[in-house]
Amino acid sequence: MLLAQTPKGSVLIQNATILTVTRGTLEESDVLVKDGIIEKIGKDLSAPKGVETIDASGKYLMPGIIDAHSHLALDVINEATAPITAQVAMADVVNPFDVGIYRALAGGTTIAHGLHGSANAIGGQSITLKYRYGTDNPEDLFMKEAPRTIKFALGENPTRVHGRGKNIQPRTRMGVEAIIRNGFAEAQQYKKAWEEYNAVKDKKNNKAIPPEYNLKLQTLADILAGEIIIHCHSYRADEIYMLINVCRDFGVDKLVFTHVNEGFKVAPELAKYTMGASVFSDWWAYKFEVYYSTAYNSAILLENNVITSINSDSDELIRHLYHEAAKTQRYGGLTDDQALSLITINPAKQLGIDQYVGSIEEGKQADLVIFNSHPLSVYAIPQMTFVDGVKYFDINTDKNDQRLKVSPTEMVEPVYLQGEGESCMHGVEFFTNEEASFNHSH
Amino acid sequence: MIKRLKILLIVLIWPGLLFCHSAIAQSDNSGQRRVTGTYAITNATIITMPGSILPNATIIVRNGLIHMVGTDIKPPKDALLIPGDSLFVYPGFIDAMGDQGVSAPAKIDNPKDMDPSDPPNDIAGISPERDVLDYWDAKARSVEEWRKVGFTISEIVPKGEMLPGKSALVIFGNEGSSNVITRANGLYAQFETPRNLYPGTILGIMAKWRELYRNAELKSKHASLFVSSANGISRPEKDKTLEALYPVINGQIPVIFKTKDELEIRRALKLQQELGFKMILAGIESGSRLIEDIKTSSSKVILSLDLPDDEASKLDIEDASEEVKMAHERVVDAYNKVLAEAGEFEKAKVPFAFGSAEAKDGEFFKNMRLRIKNGLSEEAALAALTVHPAEILGIKDFAGTLEKGKLANLVVTTDSLFKENTDVKYVMADGYLFEYDIDKTNNGNGEVKHILGTWKYVSETPGGSSEGTMEFKEHSGELCGNIVVDDPDGSGKITRELKDIHFKSNKLSFSFSVMVEAQKLYVNVKGAIEGGKFDGTLNIKDMGSYSFKATKEPDFKF
Repeated sequence: MLLAQTPKGSVLIQNATILTVTRGTLEESDVLVKDGIIEKIGKDLSAPKGVETIDASGKYLMPGIIDAHSHLALDVINEATAPITAQVAMADVVNPFDVGIYRALAGGTTIAHGLHGSANAIGGQSITLKYRYGTDNPEDLFMKEAPRTIKFALGENPTRVHGRGKNIQPRTRMGVEAIIRNGFAEAQQYKKAWEEYNAVKDKKNNKAIPPEYNLKLQTLADILAGEIIIHCHSYRADEIYMLINVCRDFGVDKLVFTHVNEGFKVAPELAKYTMGASVFSDWWAYKFEVYYSTAYNSAILLENNVITSINSDSDELIRHLYHEAAKTQRYGGLTDDQALSLITINPAKQLGIDQYVGSIEEGKQADLVIFNSHPLSVYAIPQMTFVDGVKYFDINTDKNDQRLKVSPTEMVEPVYLQGEGESCMHGVEFFTNEEASFNHSH
Repeated sequence: MIKRLKILLIVLIWPGLLFCHSAIAQSDNSGQRRVTGTYAITNATIITMPGSILPNATIIVRNGLIHMVGTDIKPPKDALLIPGDSLFVYPGFIDAMGDQGVSAPAKIDNPKDMDPSDPPNDIAGISPERDVLDYWDAKARSVEEWRKVGFTISEIVPKGEMLPGKSALVIFGNEGSSNVITRANGLYAQFETPRNLYPGTILGIMAKWRELYRNAELKSKHASLFVSSANGISRPEKDKTLEALYPVINGQIPVIFKTKDELEIRRALKLQQELGFKMILAGIESGSRLIEDIKTSSSKVILSLDLPDDEASKLDIEDASEEVKMAHERVVDAYNKVLAEAGEFEKAKVPFAFGSAEAKDGEFFKNMRLRIKNGLSEEAALAALTVHPAEILGIKDFAGTLEKGKLANLVVTTDSLFKENTDVKYVMADGYLFEYDIDKTNNGNGEVKHILGTWKYVSETPGGSSEGTMEFKEHSGELCGNIVVDDPDGSGKITRELKDIHFKSNKLSFSFSVMVEAQKLYVNVKGAIEGGKFDGTLNIKDMGSYSFKATKEPDFKF
């Protein structure tokens, strides 16, 4: 593949109310972006020659929204054929032509974490995407600075798919724990076997035979080595605490929980041992394990010093995560900065990219959104969205048809209807009648 | 000593006797053997290779090889003479990825208590040790059909999923021969998986590729260590899958990777870049935007002969909203881009070939003309059927052009190859001549009126006789139509669209599908038309053939 540099833009945005998220709110201020990086924040900045100036008087500027849980622009979501599929990588199946990327940009989202689905106890390696829409090369969407991440899943999804569906482990929550512990233990042995081989392989007259290469165990070994952040699908407090303990036993501290509906019950533990929780604002009761929930979850977690974010897990919700964040002001009375942190700097921390994005600070990447009014207002509508200083969405000047690729034969492109537009269990075939009618499956 | 001499005599005499036996057989009391293996096509326009045209020339073929080509050549006495006045002679076409005569391996039952997360390789669609020739029938109808449009050599690929097996190079010659040129000359790969087994998606395929390849490298290292100094080295476990990958990791044969679109091409390129195998990207429908990447990877290119149906232009959108019109325009534009793909590869000077897998022989010339109308030069079109595949497949020493010493593979047409009404009159493959009837009275689009209108049909099946009507129409030069059949899932009638309608030389064929108990059943009808009557057969896959007769309803004229 030819190594292409992704586009970097320069722009001066003037007279905006700047919601920096980490440094408070700046009234009638300017942001100067040079080659994709925020160079200066202040008043009365002037644009260097040839740099476009945008007058944002009366408008609001916030950091690009970051979604820590998405399945958008992925050709496949679940390799649901094994309880551990750590060897698979979402980077292999990114589809840059998905018009959903543009729709997300129109909702102010600039970065999303493309996750494997939740069918397996240990799913595939995920990919952090910057929505540089317009390219035909999937790799142009990769956020190269982002650390590796991987999907784990607890509870009903893996036990239903593998246990009840195929009659293999895990059939219960105990089985899920056993699968993960066994996986980690095997990875330790695998690592040792290779270390022993590598230590002698170049010595004279050695009779060492290379061990079998196993990408799954190699990936698990990389988790144990602290190179990969776990993002774990979870609902119940007991299973959340279970994985915290498993990770502590194996010395793993890069751990984020996603969904986490009962997180409020184990908030101190989440704060102490993990990189936080990524939750829905007010979505629950779509299956048995998700009944015990509250819309105060984010606020409770945040007030207990858990790094908390709100995610979409949906190609539709990703278009208005600012509404989702605003709900925490009704349920929990969070401040503006707290509410905005749920969709900016906090998900950035959970993805290990907070030194680059997630707030408006000099030296950070210029992922920015201009809103017509305060983004936590119900009247807020994004006007322009920038990634690396390049404008990818403009409500006034964009063409109506933003599809990059059109079928040569289909006049109306197929629309796939799903439960509620969610996609965590996308691509998973169910094996019993009861489950065939089960269409909501986060 | 004496005894030994005796044995020696016997050994010497026996072959002699056998020889006598076969010498006697040469009188050929079966009458099957041809009179001569020498042919001369005289006074024809001979295109020896793309861009090289010899008018009024003669070509002489002897015992399967091209003996002479040129003007002022006298045919030898033993030659069968074919007066070539007004005929055009081209090198026989080479199909760079075909599946003529290839059947799918029988489905293997899952072992009892199989763990779907770790199934045996052959169940999981991974069988690189398979040889396509074990599933090849040289006498299959599809071989005849593709030969009839000019194909003489094909690189056939096996059927299956992720790694179905090894390909082979075959010739469409006489049925008495094995017709095999080389076997196991490529490893065929696809982005296909079985259901509910690992690997079940492209996610799994990508990971499985990486694992198989690395383990093949490690296994081969272990095996060679064992060969060089076995003492103290544990015995390498035999693994037919990994061993079948050795020719690929050693760079002896390429991976023929079926990649239809850009994203598949990128995935294959990614694997190739990580693992470092030789690659042929095959079956490409659209990929011209990646030409630079393909060039950098030194991969070879095989485009699919198939083209999508022109759905958009059939639509009547005159009264539609502006939005619909604009969306429609984009579909038309996308369709035209697919037609222009081959031309784009030519412009970028990529020496590409064509592959027939998934394409229809009946649409071959029509599709080639569409590409030529959309930017492909006739010379490049011919090159993609002759010299380029010969180069890609490594057979240019003996195939691809009409030069002395090459295999006698040629196509003889009634006019210049890609003209609208040109017909294939002869095809010679491996020095064997195949002649085709050309019935000019009922040929070409002009005579479509013979079938346009409504027909009444009767079909006899084991379930009793069924009746109905069918209708043929013409839309922008293409035949379309529908058939009214008894609803298999209930009472009453349903109307089904006719697909793949071919009408040439009074032969009519078409197909349609019906749903029976939530299963799609494909029905193929084939037959001949004479004076407003159609006499043919109706064929349902895996069920059988039944009679199908139809009579044309008189046209109403006011």
